[in-house]
Amino acid sequence: MSQPDIDGRPDSDEVKTAAAATTVDESGPSYLTVTNTISSWVFTLDHKRIGLMYLIGVLFMFLLGGVFALLVRTELFSPLAMITPLFADTAEAQADLYNKWFTTHGAIMVFLVIIPGVPAALGNFILPLLLGAKDVAFPRLNLGSFYLWVIGAIFFVYVLFSGGIDTGWTFYTPYSAESGTAVIPALIGVFILGFSSIFTGLNFIVTIHKMRPKGMTWFKMPLFLWATYSTAVIQVLATPVLGITLLLLILERSLGIGIFDPRNGGDPVLFQHFFWFYSHPAVYIMIVPPMGVVSELIATHSHKRIFGYTYIAFSSVAIAIFSFLVWGHHMFTSGQSTTMSIIFSGITFSVGIPSAIKVFNWLATMYKGAIVLNTAMLYGISFIFLFTIGGLTGLFLGVLSIDAHLHDTYFVVAHFHYVMMGSGLVGFIGGLHHWWPKITGKMYDEFLGRIGCILVFIGFNLTFIPQFVMGSLGMPRRYYTYADKFEVYHQLSTVGAYVMAAGFFLTAYYLIQSLISGKKAPMNPWGGNSLEWHTPSPPPLENFHSVPDATDPYDYEGLEYDPATGNYATKRTG
Amino acid sequence: MIQVPILLADSEPSFWLPAPVSNFAGPIDGDFYFVYWVSIFFLVLITLLLGIFMWKFRTPPGARAQSHKDHHIVLEVVWTGIPIILSAMMFWYGYRGYVDMTVPPNESISIVAEAQKWAWNFSYASNGASIPGMSDDFNVVRAQVRSGEITAEDAEAAEAKILEKAGLHVPMGVPIEVTVMAADVLHALFIPAFRVKKDCVPGRTGKLWFIANEPGTYDLYCAEYCGQGHSWMHSKVVVHETVEEYEKWLEVAGSYDETLPFDENGKIVWKRRGCISCHSIDGSKKVGPSWAGMFGSMRKFAATGTPGEAVADEAYIQESIRFPMKKIAEGYPPQMPVVKLTDKELLWVTEYIKSLSQNSGGTVSPRKEN
Repeated sequence: MSQPDIDGRPDSDEVKTAAAATTVDESGPSYLTVTNTISSWVFTLDHKRIGLMYLIGVLFMFLLGGVFALLVRTELFSPLAMITPLFADTAEAQADLYNKWFTTHGAIMVFLVIIPGVPAALGNFILPLLLGAKDVAFPRLNLGSFYLWVIGAIFFVYVLFSGGIDTGWTFYTPYSAESGTAVIPALIGVFILGFSSIFTGLNFIVTIHKMRPKGMTWFKMPLFLWATYSTAVIQVLATPVLGITLLLLILERSLGIGIFDPRNGGDPVLFQHFFWFYSHPAVYIMIVPPMGVVSELIATHSHKRIFGYTYIAFSSVAIAIFSFLVWGHHMFTSGQSTTMSIIFSGITFSVGIPSAIKVFNWLATMYKGAIVLNTAMLYGISFIFLFTIGGLTGLFLGVLSIDAHLHDTYFVVAHFHYVMMGSGLVGFIGGLHHWWPKITGKMYDEFLGRIGCILVFIGFNLTFIPQFVMGSLGMPRRYYTYADKFEVYHQLSTVGAYVMAAGFFLTAYYLIQSLISGKKAPMNPWGGNSLEWHTPSPPPLENFHSVPDATDPYDYEGLEYDPATGNYATKRTG
Repeated sequence: MIQVPILLADSEPSFWLPAPVSNFAGPIDGDFYFVYWVSIFFLVLITLLLGIFMWKFRTPPGARAQSHKDHHIVLEVVWTGIPIILSAMMFWYGYRGYVDMTVPPNESISIVAEAQKWAWNFSYASNGASIPGMSDDFNVVRAQVRSGEITAEDAEAAEAKILEKAGLHVPMGVPIEVTVMAADVLHALFIPAFRVKKDCVPGRTGKLWFIANEPGTYDLYCAEYCGQGHSWMHSKVVVHETVEEYEKWLEVAGSYDETLPFDENGKIVWKRRGCISCHSIDGSKKVGPSWAGMFGSMRKFAATGTPGEAVADEAYIQESIRFPMKKIAEGYPPQMPVVKLTDKELLWVTEYIKSLSQNSGGTVSPRKEN
């Protein structure tokens, strides 16, 4: 097992570990304070510091992607040119600019925010703690993944400054083969990000296999680990296909080899097959980890055993397996064979079942629980509601006949935002609030937290419910301007986006405020019983002062709340 | 000139769906509302339970759960089984409807829809007539309504005027088979009122079919992202009440008026065959070079085609239309699709391009652009 060798570890460590197990309020240095040179961050092998750096990077990219979302929504407030004329003179240039905005928004949010959000940022921090381990299995590889992410992000920023890209985040050929924008740097960026994702997945698979503590069998793992494990399998198996596809597209653009471009004898639909072979499983890379987060949130804040543990665990695995077999449902109107469409439609419905199982088990977990409606729990509940809508509207699109009407309309846009943002991102933000005290050692303002969550919730629904309606009425997606009859829906949607933005800015405000003047977080502020709540907040460099034994993560009976400190302490026995 | 009927459809759009005016609209809307009511049922159920549990079991920190029951096999079977049955039904309905949509009846009227950046063109198998989508003209009307220049009624009249020689025209009650093609990148033919959509894939042909069951004028969109003009690439479908009316329209609209001067017909070709979307006639730069002042000027070629330079004479212009990738004007992307013009159309459009240079007076210097 790997023992990361990190400079600056205090020598007195071993001496302290024995005593630490019995004291709740550990006074030793945390991972944040143990060293504070620049190189101790830049070259750190500590999963917590790497996770934190990921978190900062992902949140920054979320801001950037969000700015583009607001630009897009503002432009669409009216069918007339709204803000593109500030940047471009002719109608043609304005349409080009809009196309770059929605492409940038999509590409940043998918590749730089949602895919790495829960696994790489939160997962990196929490996964070894949940296992009672000192670190992930391959700390150097972990640091490598992070720097690959940074290099990928730099490529994207370069694309922004070299004129942008207008292919849509899907890079469909032959448009992407002939577009005059910076397609190749963006493809290289995504290619590199793919490797970041593969390495993280590999690391997590090995870590979960090899580093579980004594007594933690597979079915005693916290459900977040099941979710992360399922995701990691998808990351390792599917991402290489994307990498190869993008390489082929780079060759197509630079050498004209004729794989995807019909002018050179290629087949544009082949690109769609390759692309969705990765990108449909990638949807589950984006949603399964937040599902794992929500399993933890709902159980912990209801202070009740998770209901149907085995079913939730297996549903994650089932989703991971089925996710490889449904890519063709993105292509029902593409001209792929009827037989294929029918098979893909059938398998698509089988992905719906495990998702439904999860929702009902979460509900049953809340029943007769002791629910504390704090910010993290409100995000968990928002997730269940938004994911229900995201899942149910997916049924419309899986039905072959209805999809002929709804494909490539705003209905699809609204559907995948409910899944990827309303569920994926809301789950991520919920997890951020859940583990914020553990990560930073500070408590945030719960009142502002709840207001922020409610604003995001209202804003989100206001943004996307009108999009369902205009989509089914026939408004195609990726439109710079539109028929007047859709104007009122677009206006509601844009107002919703602003409300949501207000919620996120409020969230940023109180989270930053908590770093400056937040109350010190106790070891176990929520009453969780998985291992991360059995070590100080923030944890020491080596995570635990003594190697812990596995706990039952969903047994909350042995914890006693102390109103004075806000901590749930382990009940003393005998 | 035959009048195009602009009729108000009897079927009204609902809150969720456009007016159902094709043979597929009924079944697809039926499937839609089946999934819709199932979804509403589960959404209400889940939301109610969420709300009730949130309210009833809310506690301050430190309280203990009332129960720790963590499994119930009957519940698991029920909430796995019911979704399985319902999804199987949904799959079945969708499958049935989809298979119907993929098999056109033998006795159909055949129309070819060609998409290019950013124009539609509809060719009618019965007489070979080639009718443009005229996206740009519809955009002008749209803009005029928005700026308040013309009223909604004027706009309807203006659209009817455009539709005399443009758009996808079909008779009511007869199966129509549309073969879709694309000249450059992906597009998709989407007619919301008919609930049909098919991707236009370059290098392949696709098919969709429908029977329109109400006379009127309906929107037609490009649904697959195709770049700059994607949102401008719309046209209209006109449903004629009888086959006779449709055929009469087709005969008139499909022909050129050969008594007109060559360059005037060339201007019609420019609009009809989609040249308009990439080539301006006022000197402004679009995707391709402007035609203003082009004839007789010196053209420099990019290295992607045959390099070098040449004077833009008749031979050069006709070669560039027939084989667009052979010589690529410097500073422009190699993106022009092959538009199959008839010999007459080619002649007319060449004359038209010529006329756009002669206005500037006398013979044109070959070195004009230097």
